[in-house]
Amino acid sequence: MGPRGLSRILAVAANTFRETIRERVLYNLLFFALVMTVCGLLLGQISIRQDEKIIKDIALAAMDLFGTAIAVFVGVGLVSKEIERRSLYPLMAKPVTRDEFLLGKFAGLSFTLLVNVMVMAAGLYLTLLLTGRPLDLRLLAAVFPIFLSLVLTVAVVLLFSILFTSTALAAFASLILVVAGRFSDVIRNMKEVAPGAPAWLIQGLYYALPNYRNFDFKDRVVYGDPVSTGDLGWVTVYAAVYVALVLGIALAAFRRREFV
Amino acid sequence: MTASAETAALDIRGLSKAYRIGHVRPTRKPALVDLTLSVSAGEVFGYLGPNGSGKTTTLKILTGLVFPDAGSATMLGSPLGDRAGRQRLGFLPENPNFYDYLTPREYLDYAGRLFGLDKAQRQGRARELLEKVGLTAFADVALRRFSKGMLQRMGLAQALVNSPDLVFLDEPMSGLDPIGRRLVREMILDLKAAGKTVFFSTHILSDAETLCDRVALMRAGRLVAVGRLSDILHIDVTHMEILVTGIPESALDALPPGSEKRRTMGERWTLHVPEAQLGAVVQALEKAGGRILSVQPVRQSLEEFFFKEMGTPTKWDLAD
Repeated sequence: MGPRGLSRILAVAANTFRETIRERVLYNLLFFALVMTVCGLLLGQISIRQDEKIIKDIALAAMDLFGTAIAVFVGVGLVSKEIERRSLYPLMAKPVTRDEFLLGKFAGLSFTLLVNVMVMAAGLYLTLLLTGRPLDLRLLAAVFPIFLSLVLTVAVVLLFSILFTSTALAAFASLILVVAGRFSDVIRNMKEVAPGAPAWLIQGLYYALPNYRNFDFKDRVVYGDPVSTGDLGWVTVYAAVYVALVLGIALAAFRRREFV
Repeated sequence: MTASAETAALDIRGLSKAYRIGHVRPTRKPALVDLTLSVSAGEVFGYLGPNGSGKTTTLKILTGLVFPDAGSATMLGSPLGDRAGRQRLGFLPENPNFYDYLTPREYLDYAGRLFGLDKAQRQGRARELLEKVGLTAFADVALRRFSKGMLQRMGLAQALVNSPDLVFLDEPMSGLDPIGRRLVREMILDLKAAGKTVFFSTHILSDAETLCDRVALMRAGRLVAVGRLSDILHIDVTHMEILVTGIPESALDALPPGSEKRRTMGERWTLHVPEAQLGAVVQALEKAGGRILSVQPVRQSLEEFFFKEMGTPTKWDLAD
């Protein structure tokens, strides 16, 4: 892909970013995330000695939860809405390939999520500052993997929105996958719960589903356990490989899609 | 007349497409069957047919929205899907829809970026095109507030953002008021004057008659006729039409066999007479005190051709 291809991807990404920041759903979710952070602050004030941990816990959980909600509910409409409303039609006749279009969509929403995560992290630091607590930069070691998990979710949601013609079904399937990926340990230990289940199926599911637990550094950071650069490097590679695989399938499916 | 592949702006060879219908026992319904036609550079080409005749499917194949089952096409010498061809292509889809969160200026800027235009070019083109389609006053209004006709004008503007050499317009008059339709007609004529090729689908026959150098007529996915309107319509003039006034009806009783008379307005009569008898009839009319207002050849209209060759009006969606 040459510089012109990159420029077209950036054009689609910039437009997608503009689209997502003009979506009402985004502001609703951000509002609830802020409400949740304020709740954390109030809870912190009534919990002796645990206040700082509660603030961090709730803020990081809000970042993760609402980031996921934005990735799913905004992401699911990115391509399917274009098809449904036929806004894609004039674009497909222009010199932008389907690959460039989809990668632009992916990059645009990922950038929106990066901005969201940064805004929420800034909110967390502001809360800590205003309440006279130390500004713990190690929190970023939990924030960064959250962002990676959100990028992975965007890739998964884009894939489902191309595979399914129904937006609701794509959102439902994405949520199931995200939830299942957060309980991957349960899947690994399924043998104990369901001894009849074939081992290959359990193993297959365990490795095929995205393991969101890999991205969860919240407890370690909040409780002061060390997070090494190696840990973050490994989870970055895991996210990159998984995203590349999912996007690869999404691109292949999108190339074959007909807009009847 | 067909354009040779070398000079053709659009060359379609054996294009076919069938859609799968049904889930339980799916069948394939042909939407386009072995379409072959060429459009010369600089032509305004009308693609005519009723709903479901394969017009939109053809345009969807040419613009990469669906894939053909068989056949091929070149646009400006580039094969289907080739980026070089699309760089010089403009497309207005049927009932276009755009991002409702953008303004026309923002949308045209986005479209211009996809063509690799620099900022100054994009701003210049947006200004020029919005002026041309009469949307300058709405340049910064969100597209969600636009009526159907305004969206259609917006669609035309975005189709021309790259100054294309080949323009596909799918039902460009759809949703437009008379002023908007005149604007589209003028734009098509401007494009022709600038040497561009325009391929537009329509079921509004009067537009095709006014604008097109050549037309193709489609029915049920098949090409029924292609050529100049004068070739397709019966232009061998067998009868002449005379508009005459100031003559009593009794004086018209002696018209030659094969003639027809019809009272049009007040004392005016419209007469259809065999061409060979024209001189004698004119003389007789003048002798009887009639004043001849006009004499012109009787030509079959495209609409008459449609109804005669392709079916009854009830089977057609003939707007206008």
